[in-house]
Amino acid sequence: MASEKQKHIRNFSIIAHIDHGKSTLADRILEFSNTVAARDMEEQLLDNMDLERERGITIKARAVRIDYDAPDGERYALNMIDTPGHVDFNYEVSRSLNACEGALLVVDATQGIEAQTLANAYLAVDADLEIVPVINKIDLPSAMPDKCKAEIEDVIGIPAEDAPVVSAKTGLNIASVMSAIIDQIPPPDGDENAPLRCLIFDSVYNSYLGVVVYIRVEEGTLKTGDRIRLMHTGAEFDVVEVGVMDPFGLRPTGMLTAGEVGYLTASIKNVSDTRVGDTVTHADAPADEPLPGFKKVQSMVYAGIYPSDGARYNETKDALEKLQLNDAAFTFEPETSIALGFGFRCGFLGLLHMEIIEERLEREFNLDLITTAPSVIYEIKKKNGEVVRIDNPTNYPAPDEIETASEPIVAASVITPTEYVGGIMDLCQDRRGVFIDMKYLDPTRVELHYRLPLNEIIYDFFDALKSRSRGYASLDYELSGYEPSNLVKLDFLLNGELVDALTFIVHADKAYARARKIAEKLKDNIPRQLFEVPIQAAIGSRIIARETVKALRKDVLAKCYGGDITRKKKLLEKQKEGKKKMRQLGSVEVSPEAFMAVLKLDDDQ
Amino acid sequence: MNRTETYGAPRLGIYVHIPFCLSKCAYCDFNSAVEEDRGVMTNYVNAVIAHMESYRSAAGDYDVDTVFFGGGTPTALPPDELLRLIRAVKRIFHVAKDAEFTVEANPATVSYATLSRMRRLGVNRLSMGLQSPHENELKALGRIHTRADFVRSFRMARDARFDNINVDLMFGIPYQTRESLAHTLRYVTRLGPEHISLYDLKIEPGTPFYANYAAIAPTLPGEDAEAEMYFDSIRTLAEAGYPQYEISNFARRGYACRHNLRYWNCDEYLGFGVSAHSYFSGHRFSIIPDVKQYIEGATVKESRIMLTAENEEIGERERIGEYVMLRLRLRAGIDEYEFRSRFGLSFEELYGERCLRFVRGGFMTRRRGVTALTPTGMFVSNTILSDLLEFEDLGRYNFGG
Repeated sequence: MASEKQKHIRNFSIIAHIDHGKSTLADRILEFSNTVAARDMEEQLLDNMDLERERGITIKARAVRIDYDAPDGERYALNMIDTPGHVDFNYEVSRSLNACEGALLVVDATQGIEAQTLANAYLAVDADLEIVPVINKIDLPSAMPDKCKAEIEDVIGIPAEDAPVVSAKTGLNIASVMSAIIDQIPPPDGDENAPLRCLIFDSVYNSYLGVVVYIRVEEGTLKTGDRIRLMHTGAEFDVVEVGVMDPFGLRPTGMLTAGEVGYLTASIKNVSDTRVGDTVTHADAPADEPLPGFKKVQSMVYAGIYPSDGARYNETKDALEKLQLNDAAFTFEPETSIALGFGFRCGFLGLLHMEIIEERLEREFNLDLITTAPSVIYEIKKKNGEVVRIDNPTNYPAPDEIETASEPIVAASVITPTEYVGGIMDLCQDRRGVFIDMKYLDPTRVELHYRLPLNEIIYDFFDALKSRSRGYASLDYELSGYEPSNLVKLDFLLNGELVDALTFIVHADKAYARARKIAEKLKDNIPRQLFEVPIQAAIGSRIIARETVKALRKDVLAKCYGGDITRKKKLLEKQKEGKKKMRQLGSVEVSPEAFMAVLKLDDDQ
Repeated sequence: MNRTETYGAPRLGIYVHIPFCLSKCAYCDFNSAVEEDRGVMTNYVNAVIAHMESYRSAAGDYDVDTVFFGGGTPTALPPDELLRLIRAVKRIFHVAKDAEFTVEANPATVSYATLSRMRRLGVNRLSMGLQSPHENELKALGRIHTRADFVRSFRMARDARFDNINVDLMFGIPYQTRESLAHTLRYVTRLGPEHISLYDLKIEPGTPFYANYAAIAPTLPGEDAEAEMYFDSIRTLAEAGYPQYEISNFARRGYACRHNLRYWNCDEYLGFGVSAHSYFSGHRFSIIPDVKQYIEGATVKESRIMLTAENEEIGERERIGEYVMLRLRLRAGIDEYEFRSRFGLSFEELYGERCLRFVRGGFMTRRRGVTALTPTGMFVSNTILSDLLEFEDLGRYNFGG
């Protein structure tokens, strides 16, 4: 049973598709409870990072506590826990949801449910949360709130008839959301005298405080000065500070009890010590068992990251370390490529995660990078019985050493308007997808289920999906395991020399098409040089595609303008300067831009 | 000092820049403009003369064995002014009896009388810009003369007893084909000048061609065709008695341009007039580009305008780099023996290893101590030189990062 204190707490998340208005609704809730004066708000307070704001998505979970004086005369503590809205961050989402008793399911009244929303809504159902549907954007003329409600009832199976119908943008009907939060979402329970168990749902590195650990106290009481143990890592710390997250920052309270959401700091140096999903307990009176559901997150996608200018290796390393301080899911280790020099093999949760890291490196640290094509992890059982996991195609064993090669397979769900089903099925087919089933969400929208190899998804699948559905289809996927596959290692040779940074692992059926496409791109992007440059794509010693970069014919200063020798010297020096920036791929000079252009995953033609 | 002569007085070349034209061509980025005001031209000639006077004593020990009036269009000056300038050169400097004295003359800018008077004053070489005998090509280049104008001027020059005439031609120009260029060469070699310059069109910033590049690009022959044109031309001209002696220059035996050879041999020259360049006493320097400022700086005593724009001392290593860069423009190339006597170092030791791949690729020949570029090599010589030379060879310049 909830205590008197707990009766005045509501812990909830907001689940929404990108652009369906999660952040705007969060702002309105803050505003409505007078926690933040409208004029003090930068639009969309919850999304902290510039990058997030620009992309309109939340990368890392954040939480905020709102003190709300309800019309019933009581004061409630509302803990709003934000969740990342992308498939790459499924696990984080599930942990954030586990810190809540309820979730607002925000659906855009003009669009209906999208694949990611659905996936997250299922996670919320699995976590036993009370789901409060909220129909948003009803100020738009194309809004169809009733159709939306019906869809929610059909697809998720929760009542939606009385769902608040709002416009977060104009602030319409926000009061109905507030009362739904108070009335429908149950208060937390949990014995504050039981042994301590807190769920870590996020952590952030702060240069003054060390790691700030975001927690939900499930049972027991946590106080400043307590010695704590993280049950999965086994690490122990002395708590320096506990408190709650005000909209404007951390507010120490000295104590958190069962049902509360807040933070702790304990001079922790590294976020990798505070893994999302781990359980905090007292070191001297530990709980018997950790909270369920902990997983060590594993990188699914790997790529090499190299500084464009080899001299900036150390800077790149510093930047990667700084990013890792805040992102335990991001891994990196040094690697060397013959073509690209010294760099790092980096592990990401998925493509979006990779893109975010790349962009932050370039934007926040002002680095120019060369990123190799992303790769998944292949599991190779060798003939000598050894099993190896390969995250870099260059290290793929020779065919005669391989007993079986397996690749990761995902269960994918695509939600699309019916008119694009044909094109999307062709795409999935083309990407070696195995059709599972197809469900009509309503007469105009369909949910498709496929089993797809992850290495097909990381090769421009999103873009292809978007282009075949005019941007309407949405995708969600989850790793479902490894399956043996007929994989080959595809190498590229320039001038007869192997370029390690261009090696791909592909399915044997796809090798020919991929080889031709990459060879053509190489041809188009390698500048003409003094010598003709043969481009070859090879599987082992068998050449399966070839192109040629014709030799440079003309590069001459025909005239020496009235004895102006200096001009010619400057020209040559500039040319020499340009060459310094070139990457030597074998005996061929290629600018970093050209290299990236080759790897750019575009159209699936 | 870079004095090639081992006996007698040191030799010097004089260059005079005339920045005036009757009209501006579409490809031209030289310092030249249409000047209508005769007064400005007179003042300019006065300024050049004053400028030359200021070098009278510095050049006093030198024998001037080449003089070159370039532009612009020297013959755009009123004839009296041009002749006054020619006389001034002869008055101020020790111009050798057998000196080569060239004036650039565009068709339709010279009369027989002017040509004859120039000849009698000692001008013994004319350089005429034809560019192309095809009217459509001439028009695209923005030239104001016709083929008939050119032929008339050329005959006039012969009548005025000019027995050393250069004709400037261009390739890689709009509408040109391998066939039309072959025709051009046939036409010109039949006319029989002593010297032919064949320049590859380069589209430079600040020219109408550059500004309208998108419109012009489809009419250009393109890199591959240009290379073929170049190699065709070298062959054709050699067969017609004009062997190539420099990237863009061809001449009958004994008629190579001695003034231009100074540039390529790293010999000394003094340049007068706006934007003129000099290599003198171990320095390379250039003159400011603005005509008005130049006139004031050269003729107004109390003026604070400096005539020199850039000035750099050429260090030992840079001299080597320049020499390699410039001598490789010549078919004669670099002679190991000559290189050693000039710098006390071995070309082979300095650059031999890096030359290997160029020789293997057919861009360069190295025989009997002589290293030279082949026609294929010449047409990609920027790439070769930027590979071959070190930064130290090129001096120190800043490119903002």
